Amino acid sequence: MSFAVAVDIGGTFTDLVAYDHECGRVIYTKSPTTYGNFVQGIVDCFAKAGIEPQEAGFLNHGTTLVINALIQRHGAKTALVTTSGFRDVLEIARGNRPDPFDLHYARDEPLIPRELRFEIAERTGANGEIVTPLDREALVQLSETLRGLDVAAVAVFFMNSYSNSDHERVAVTLLQRLLPEAYVTCSSDLTREWYEYERCSTVAANGFVGPQVNTYIRHLESDLIAKGFAGSLFMMGSNGGLLSVDRTCRQPIALVESGPIGGCIGAGAYAEALGFANVVAFDMGGTTAKCALVENGRFSVESIYYAGGYVEGFPIKSPVIDIVEVGSGGGSIAWLDRQKRLHVGPQSAGSTPGPVCYGRGGTQPTVTDANLVLGRLNASRFLGGELALDEDGARASLQEIAQALGYEGDEGLIRMADGLIAIATVIMAGAIKQVSVEHGLDPREFVLFCYGGGGPLHASALARELSIPMVVIPPEPGNFSAIGMMLADARIDLSATFTGLLDDATVGAARTSYASMEVEASDALKREFHAEEVFFERYAEMRYRGQRHNIKTLVTGAGDRCSIEATFHRDYKRRYGHADVNAAVEIQALHLSAFARLKRPDLSRLPRAGVKAKPPGARDVYFAGFGNCKAAVYEREELPAGFMATGPALIEEYGSTTLVWPDDRFEVGQLREIRIYCKTERSGA
Amino acid sequence: MTKALSPSQLDPVTLEVIRYGLVSICNQIDANIKRTAFSPYIYEYNDFAVGLAGPDGQLIAQNTGGMPPFVADSVGMAVRDGLQIYGKERLHRGDVVLCNHAAVQGQHLNNTVMYTPIYAGEGEGELIGFFAINVHWIDIGGSVPRSTDIFMEGLQLRSIKLWSKGEPIEEVYRIIENNTRTPAELLGDIAAQFAGCILGRDLVVGLASRYGTKTFHKAVALILDQSEAAARELIRSIPDGEYSAETFLDDDRVSDNPVPLRVKVIIADDEMTVDFSQMAEQAKGPINSGYFGGGQTIARVAFKYLLGAGEMANEGTFRPIKLVLPLGKIISADETAPMGNYSTPFPSVIDVILKALSPALPEQATGGHFATHSGVRFHGRRPDGSAIEAHDSGHGGWGAGANHDGAGPFRTMAHGDTRIIPIELQETALPFRIEAFSLREDSGGAGKFRGGMGFRKVYRILEPCQLQTNLDRTKFPPWGVMGGGEGKPGQFTLQVAGAESADVIGKERSRALKPGDLFTVETGGGGGYGDPRERSVELVQRDVDRGYVTREAAMREYGVQIDGEGRVSR
Repeated sequence: MSFAVAVDIGGTFTDLVAYDHECGRVIYTKSPTTYGNFVQGIVDCFAKAGIEPQEAGFLNHGTTLVINALIQRHGAKTALVTTSGFRDVLEIARGNRPDPFDLHYARDEPLIPRELRFEIAERTGANGEIVTPLDREALVQLSETLRGLDVAAVAVFFMNSYSNSDHERVAVTLLQRLLPEAYVTCSSDLTREWYEYERCSTVAANGFVGPQVNTYIRHLESDLIAKGFAGSLFMMGSNGGLLSVDRTCRQPIALVESGPIGGCIGAGAYAEALGFANVVAFDMGGTTAKCALVENGRFSVESIYYAGGYVEGFPIKSPVIDIVEVGSGGGSIAWLDRQKRLHVGPQSAGSTPGPVCYGRGGTQPTVTDANLVLGRLNASRFLGGELALDEDGARASLQEIAQALGYEGDEGLIRMADGLIAIATVIMAGAIKQVSVEHGLDPREFVLFCYGGGGPLHASALARELSIPMVVIPPEPGNFSAIGMMLADARIDLSATFTGLLDDATVGAARTSYASMEVEASDALKREFHAEEVFFERYAEMRYRGQRHNIKTLVTGAGDRCSIEATFHRDYKRRYGHADVNAAVEIQALHLSAFARLKRPDLSRLPRAGVKAKPPGARDVYFAGFGNCKAAVYEREELPAGFMATGPALIEEYGSTTLVWPDDRFEVGQLREIRIYCKTERSGA
Repeated sequence: MTKALSPSQLDPVTLEVIRYGLVSICNQIDANIKRTAFSPYIYEYNDFAVGLAGPDGQLIAQNTGGMPPFVADSVGMAVRDGLQIYGKERLHRGDVVLCNHAAVQGQHLNNTVMYTPIYAGEGEGELIGFFAINVHWIDIGGSVPRSTDIFMEGLQLRSIKLWSKGEPIEEVYRIIENNTRTPAELLGDIAAQFAGCILGRDLVVGLASRYGTKTFHKAVALILDQSEAAARELIRSIPDGEYSAETFLDDDRVSDNPVPLRVKVIIADDEMTVDFSQMAEQAKGPINSGYFGGGQTIARVAFKYLLGAGEMANEGTFRPIKLVLPLGKIISADETAPMGNYSTPFPSVIDVILKALSPALPEQATGGHFATHSGVRFHGRRPDGSAIEAHDSGHGGWGAGANHDGAGPFRTMAHGDTRIIPIELQETALPFRIEAFSLREDSGGAGKFRGGMGFRKVYRILEPCQLQTNLDRTKFPPWGVMGGGEGKPGQFTLQVAGAESADVIGKERSRALKPGDLFTVETGGGGGYGDPRERSVELVQRDVDRGYVTREAAMREYGVQIDGEGRVSR
């Protein structure tokens, strides 16, 4: 039982990290993801790692199951039960066209079609008062209809249930009794914030994925138990915390961003251990790049997420770490439009066929092909030599667009490859600006923390583009998502719409609400995680009276009206550059985050054990502004803590390569992280 | 960064980095304004635009998500007026200029452009453009919708400096503050608009300095030329010819006479001429707009709909668009005409341009959309003196296309990413409770592909208040194309408390409502595409099962039979 295990099921590989709390040993392994039966991939990983399931005390698990089910529309036959007059809320949505000039624009179809949306006489008013009592008789009759339709899930959404959930709860209890085979869920169990469409969409999605997630988790649990597992299984929630199996089964929608969250948590844990207050967590994979901010050890958690994107997708009200994603990854394709304008992405060659150099049938040049041509990837040891890269193919594909743009000869080809990366860099820097500058934060005051297969390769160029002076590459950047999952806390987020002008009475009422939320969250954490100590963070969504947009402010410790107001003015000024201390402030919502810290591995033990040091090799690498340079090539595992050198250099390891620019220097830190000190306009170093 | 290939040629990568940089600066300022503004027009309706204009006022780049009427260069016309009045030599670094004048923009006076010159290069001595932001000011005085000339509509500012050489001009602030009903909100919005102009300017200076102003100018010229080439290529793909279409507004807001909206579009090789000479004359009611903010804007917006979402619009995009637009029309009104509801004809005129081209572009054509603001307003005072003030807007059906049913309910072609106000939010503060909010069955025009549906929203009135409505195109429904049927026009009805039945009501300037009244908004549907008898039985079956189309309508419009079990056959 001494092992803590984290499993990240990705599109191609299932990654496993196991840490032995007794001796500090760490094991990394990966195995192909087994579609149709994901559990098999996990069992394979255990076998490959040489660990018996009974040795695992904890198994933390992240999965893209929920988001895939929503996007691919592989879910349960779900019925909606709603207030009389409102069955079309789900279909009308918000009536907006985010793509204004597309005459043929349409939003994705609702998850529940109109013939499966049923109305029941009942109505709650805006203040929670009952306007029309719930027609239980009709509900009993409806349950017959639903049984006849063979629905696997029932989502219950009633108007204004955010202010009084009695009718929803009565309906759920009744339907559960009448339809014991069905998965029954209601909106007020998932969110207590207002806005009917968003709430309805959330419960529809929860119903849609509910049966599948329940089957999956119960199956996983029983299979693991059958193999001897006697520890605790936890799921990775989109809010950056672990969830119990029971909670996940009730709120599977809380897993919607379960996949990419691990890396953010890892970045936060390393930032804390290394003493960095502010970090940009940047993850670059095959098709996209994602980034998130850690500010004073905290992630910004948003309470809305658009499955399938804002333009065509649908909203889910669930706490999700604020991650900005752009379609720029190793597989991003470079292409010319009809006016010969050069674009990179968002189309991606993905993992199949993959970049041209993978030799699996890709024909259009990608970011990875450009990196290979520039000498930044080692053709013979990509993925530990499992995949030999075809450099000639990469060159030929780049040659085509290079010629069309007037880049000639060998030098032209290099310039083309470099240009392609320059454009990808600008796009990725745009994502980082979006999470920082637009929130009133200056990226230069952050450390750029890069992981994912492509992050370490592009980190220094990004740092230059953003004038960030320091880059940190954690150990195992290719497995970092699974590492992060092993470092997660147990966490529960609660929120409620709560409106009122910020005065003493409102603050008093808010305090009462917070206290009851704290009791609820603390009870749950004790029940679900046997937590001994629970930490709380209180946030309030506030705005100046008359505004429509709220900002979420940390008000833990700010007890009275004056200090809450001061916190708001300060945050407002930081974000927007101005504040009005004389204007009235109003509260719009209360949020509570509750944490319980679980036993964490010792970060200094996570890097793989070093082998004996070899003298570095060398390779020609092209750097814009420097031309071709002889770059030292290091094996990452061989670099001891305290090692220092200057660029140009390549540091190679399994699944990733770190690029150090000619006028940068780098050192290996105490946790075996690579720190790159970049020459920027500001640092001048 | 990569250097230029040769002195005469611009490096294609540098070009792309500058192009991306310009748009992302506009988007960054867009995000800042949205978050810092006080008025819901900005945050909820995106009723603003951010743009970069060249040294002569030509539109170079703008934010991605602005309202459609702003895409056609809402900022450049203001800049050009300032250039005419002051000349480049009197527009200094640190100057900030305002313009909302009817002779310049020709829209309602709320739309106020603020801009500042951008100086870069050696010693920051070279004028490289203007950073400009057009914001719907929440209130600028005036008495719309009763106005019959522009002077009844509020304060006009014609190229007035708000800041001079980095110093605020307090008198101008005082004039504005004392000519609005909502000084706190407006001054808050102005602060956000001002901060956006200054930050935008500085970011553009940063970008230009990084590559040098020479490269910057070269890149800008190329960006405009490439956009022009893309536009010409699109026009070349449309068969040459003259294409005409018309529709009507119900009335001019003063008399009952329909208002003809007639257009002729001439395609000749790679040029498109939009001929508005048969358009209605200037109206007595406040539904006029000026030459630039009206006719030119409409023609450009329609063209942008043809071009699609992918191509960013700038001055180059619109070079191949020619206009025949005599002065004195409803969309080229003189500067004293009332313009408070200037955009009333916009959705219909944009749509009628697309209708004219539908025979030439049968694959891209869509049926007409509901095309009216369908707005309602509840207002009044409660016994305790507090104000009731609620605007609600109708979203209706859009037309069907060659391979899809019409979508919606959405707002009109003159709107963009404009969201429905949540009912749960409305019910906390407004004098009504909503009894139903649903799709309006049978509102989509029949066709091989069916038009999109409008909605039905039923308001139960809880407190005495006044109702004001703005619905149009009730007598001239959205058309079908390629043999498709018409969409159903919108309709407002009122069932007075205690009455047996509901009455259709027309345009209401101020009708008293009392508790218990039931007011129903039904918005129009979109037109169909193709012969309804060619619609597949499966799709008719689905529509009947879902209740999008009633059984009676299915049998009548689609030529099908329906048996006792609801099975559709033909």
